[in-house]
Amino acid sequence: MSDNVLFYFEVHQPKRLRLYRLNEINKNHDYFWNEKNKEIFLRISNDSYIKTTKLLMENNIEASFSISGTVIEQALEYNTKVIDAFDDYFRSGLGELLDETYYHSLSSIFDKDEFIEQIKQHRNLMKKTFNIEPESFRNTELIYNDGISETVKSLGYKNIITEGTDDIIKYYNPNYLYKSTSNLNLLLRNYKLSDDISFRFSNHAWNEFPLTADKYASWIKKTPGDFINLFMDYETFGEHQKESTGIFQFLKYLPLEFKKNDIKFIKINGAKKFKNHGIISVKDAISWADTDRNLNPWIGNEMQKEAFNKLISLKNNKNKKLWRYLQTSDNLYYLSTGKPEDMEVHNYFNPYKSPYNAFLSYMNILDDFDYNYFG
Amino acid sequence: MRLSVIGWELPPIFSGGLGVHTINIFSIINKMIDVTVYVPDIEGLSDEYPFNVKKIKFNTENLNKYINNQSKKSENKNYYNIYPYYNNLKIKNINFNNFDFKDFNEMIYYYNKSVIECFDRNTDVIHCHDWITFDAGVELKEKYGVPLVITVHSTEIDRSGNFFPQKYIMDIEKKGIKNADKIIAVSDYTKNMIIDNYDADKDKITVVYNGIDSDFIDTAYKDYNLHKNILYFGRVTTQKGPKFFLEAAEKVIKYFPDVKFIIAGTGDLINDMKVLAKELKIENNVIFTGFISLNNKIKYFKDADVFVLPAVSEPFGISVIEAMGMGIPTVISNTTGVGEALYNVFKCDFYDTDLMAEYIIGLLKHQGLRETMGANGQIEARKFTWNNAAIKTMGVYKSIFEGVKHE
Repeated sequence: MSDNVLFYFEVHQPKRLRLYRLNEINKNHDYFWNEKNKEIFLRISNDSYIKTTKLLMENNIEASFSISGTVIEQALEYNTKVIDAFDDYFRSGLGELLDETYYHSLSSIFDKDEFIEQIKQHRNLMKKTFNIEPESFRNTELIYNDGISETVKSLGYKNIITEGTDDIIKYYNPNYLYKSTSNLNLLLRNYKLSDDISFRFSNHAWNEFPLTADKYASWIKKTPGDFINLFMDYETFGEHQKESTGIFQFLKYLPLEFKKNDIKFIKINGAKKFKNHGIISVKDAISWADTDRNLNPWIGNEMQKEAFNKLISLKNNKNKKLWRYLQTSDNLYYLSTGKPEDMEVHNYFNPYKSPYNAFLSYMNILDDFDYNYFG
Repeated sequence: MRLSVIGWELPPIFSGGLGVHTINIFSIINKMIDVTVYVPDIEGLSDEYPFNVKKIKFNTENLNKYINNQSKKSENKNYYNIYPYYNNLKIKNINFNNFDFKDFNEMIYYYNKSVIECFDRNTDVIHCHDWITFDAGVELKEKYGVPLVITVHSTEIDRSGNFFPQKYIMDIEKKGIKNADKIIAVSDYTKNMIIDNYDADKDKITVVYNGIDSDFIDTAYKDYNLHKNILYFGRVTTQKGPKFFLEAAEKVIKYFPDVKFIIAGTGDLINDMKVLAKELKIENNVIFTGFISLNNKIKYFKDADVFVLPAVSEPFGISVIEAMGMGIPTVISNTTGVGEALYNVFKCDFYDTDLMAEYIIGLLKHQGLRETMGANGQIEARKFTWNNAAIKTMGVYKSIFEGVKHE
């Protein structure tokens, strides 16, 4: 019987790179798709970020957040009300803020020093923006293994979150508190109950459709464990699930239904009071993405590997900030051809329509970067 | 159910698209219903086929009569010899009794008349393929009241590259499209083409994609080392856009001076293309192979890094899925019908040779791209099977009679 729910939301928008043609190499060093970034950011900040944050506040819903550096930058450029809304929310005491890499990058899997540098940059940004020093950490797309948790521990964090993959939950109920091999508090995403909201909420073909707050509360209640980790994209509210699906009504009624069932909201830091159910070791990197829950969405196919190796090879460059934008994981995600069952999700997120076009464009940019900023 | 198919060619003598389609699809359909295929009686046809075949002999006595009528009709008509598309039966080699037809159209006219004469009326559905058989289909439908299905494999607009399409042929196509009970189009591209240009009733049309031959699937694993060969495989005609292939080649050669561009096939533009290659000063990079047999075809495909089809207007484009089936990364024009069902290819406008060149250069530069597109394309090409095509075609026949029931 679970009496607690832990909401964690990922707030991330990349600074997308535009389609960059072959004949621009060495002539044009402007890589960003400003028009598209602005359009998407304005839409999402209005339809999702601001609206949802206000709703959480009005209804006393506690939640934990990570906000990437590329989101803060775009908010400062396009819509500062996003920052105001989060700031109000954190000041109210309802919210907890996590750290991640500033650039929402894959640095954790290729360069420890780079990884640490980007975490520090994020830490400074959170301090500067919200005057908060997070104690909890989440890596890009919940990419995790023992090595990553060691590095995170060495930076002074107390808690880390990752996916409750099938391999893990075979042995460990995701609704309990665990320890990493590095002795951090380790929380596991309950993917079934998370995806019920983030993926299936508006799916008419789902046999549980429509999902109502009282039904959902009853599922939580009867699930064994101490707390249920509901981790998802923040854009679930108002963007992936549009307002017309009733997602906001659902969210609004959750506290009422939870109250009836005596279910409480907790934050990541609040999970440490629960009993530790043992140490979990994860050797090969896992993530919360796709059906495989590994690194395949970013470096799964040969073209992604080629692009990733090229990106890494450019480390000794004269424009670190630009190189780090190029590291944002979305750039590699757009090159994914995935498994057929994941294609729908990939196409949804791919502004270039085809992973092959995205690849050529990205490689052209890396070539230009190579000629102009390398060495 | 008994089905009469009015066809034009059958392997092994011809390996044109129509013959390949006919033998593949009707050998499967013949397992479900009785199929009889009508084709011109020419030397080299097999004795046995996986369905009944009626070989149509040309009757000399009647021939005079028909030809006289026909000649009047086609007088003063601009005649372009753009019909390597259909096998232009070499009259001396066949049992057409040494008749010297004035042109291809006249031969078609006579063939259709002969089919009508020899037709066995004991049938439930007539299925015609392209304008070369539409006249017979329409007349037989009127004569015997048998429902007519037509398949549009290509239109005169496609074949001419919309460059002086013959009105005489378009009229036959219009007549077939108007009189058919059901129409099969080989792609949505073709479906829209006949709706827009032939006033086809969209409710009569079903799209059925072609299949891929196992020859192109059961080959050994493709190696993605660079061979520096870019392949154009097909007829060298306006329709297929060989000119754009060479224009793109010129741009690619600036980046990769030692890449070969292979034009494999024959056609009426072959000399023009040789001249163009010289004009573009790339003649040392361009290889003209002439006609290629099936065995050699597979060899050329295997050695290719990229397959390009810059067609001006291609209803389907079976060579695209053949190339993909062998794991070759492929660049096609937006006006290639099969592209609408493909994800793992590069697409551009046929005239956008900058982009076409950029795709080719990208594929030459990046082995990771070749491997990923090649491997995914191979899987994707396998979804085009003749079984699927046959089952969908059966569904079209059945829909005729279901329609009757409801009335």
